[in-house]
Amino acid sequence: MMELIPLIVILAFLFETMDSCAGMGFGTGLTPLLFIFGYEPLQVVPILLISEAITGFTAGFFHQEFENVNFRIKKPLNKETKIMINIAILGMFAIILSVFLTYYSIKLEKSIIQTYVALLVIVMGIIAMFKLKSKSSSYKPKILTFFSALAGFNKGIGAGGYGPVVMLGQIFSGIYEKTATAIVSVSEGLVSVAGVAAFVLIPVFSNQAIYIDFYLLPSVFTGGFIAAIVSPYIVRVFPNKLWRVVIPVYALGIGLYVLLKLYVL
Amino acid sequence: MQKKIIVDEVGYLAKLLDEKMTTFERMKIKKSTLKRMAFALLIYLSVMIIFVVTL
Repeated sequence: MMELIPLIVILAFLFETMDSCAGMGFGTGLTPLLFIFGYEPLQVVPILLISEAITGFTAGFFHQEFENVNFRIKKPLNKETKIMINIAILGMFAIILSVFLTYYSIKLEKSIIQTYVALLVIVMGIIAMFKLKSKSSSYKPKILTFFSALAGFNKGIGAGGYGPVVMLGQIFSGIYEKTATAIVSVSEGLVSVAGVAAFVLIPVFSNQAIYIDFYLLPSVFTGGFIAAIVSPYIVRVFPNKLWRVVIPVYALGIGLYVLLKLYVL
Repeated sequence: MQKKIIVDEVGYLAKLLDEKMTTFERMKIKKSTLKRMAFALLIYLSVMIIFVVTL
């Protein structure tokens, strides 16, 4: 029977609000909390991927509606659309590799790679904070390609932190913060669709049983969906100078949270 | 005839809104957007009905 769990709805709403406003934190923040509440990885991971797929597209649609971004689906594609597609393609390859490694139990030392990603996000957050006073620069595609590939590599080896690295990478490459948030929302939606497909198809092709528990989906979907509509409006209303501060500070917080979870909690 | 200018600069639209509009002006929501928000609510309710039936 379907059940809505108020605490999960609120948490999903808060993390998705920050994810759609600052381009990061839904998976990194919510996953460990749900594990602490006693839910199993197979109850959490596919549900967050399904939810993130829906909320990513919803947030992207409303970012476009509130004019934080200007995607053009018809040819010729504009730069914003091309950037989104490039980031998404790298992420999609990465998540398929990540699910493959998980299913075939190829063990990488999780704590070491998670420490590396947490430190990377912290350093990037600090650099972004130092860059606060500098004027916004022109778009540098090579820097963005480097950080998209780096984020994809991290996700591919199962270390997470995809959102923070892609988001801060976009800022380093000179993309306007409000637009970067919108781009990362749609990219994460596409990456999550690939993740869900990999989660279902890899065991099917290798004759393994799959079991997905949908118990948390209504609660996560409710909080996430509402946030995906509200957040683009919040992004539009508040001036970009606020997001220039919020994004690196939040990234720094996420990096420290991952380190605390690994070594203290 | 006035030529339509297409600017293909990343973040151009968001930057333009920040420069030309006040926070209060950016708070206003177009009627068409409100309709789309209502449509999104309908989608949400439909999905929840599917959950009630199937889960």
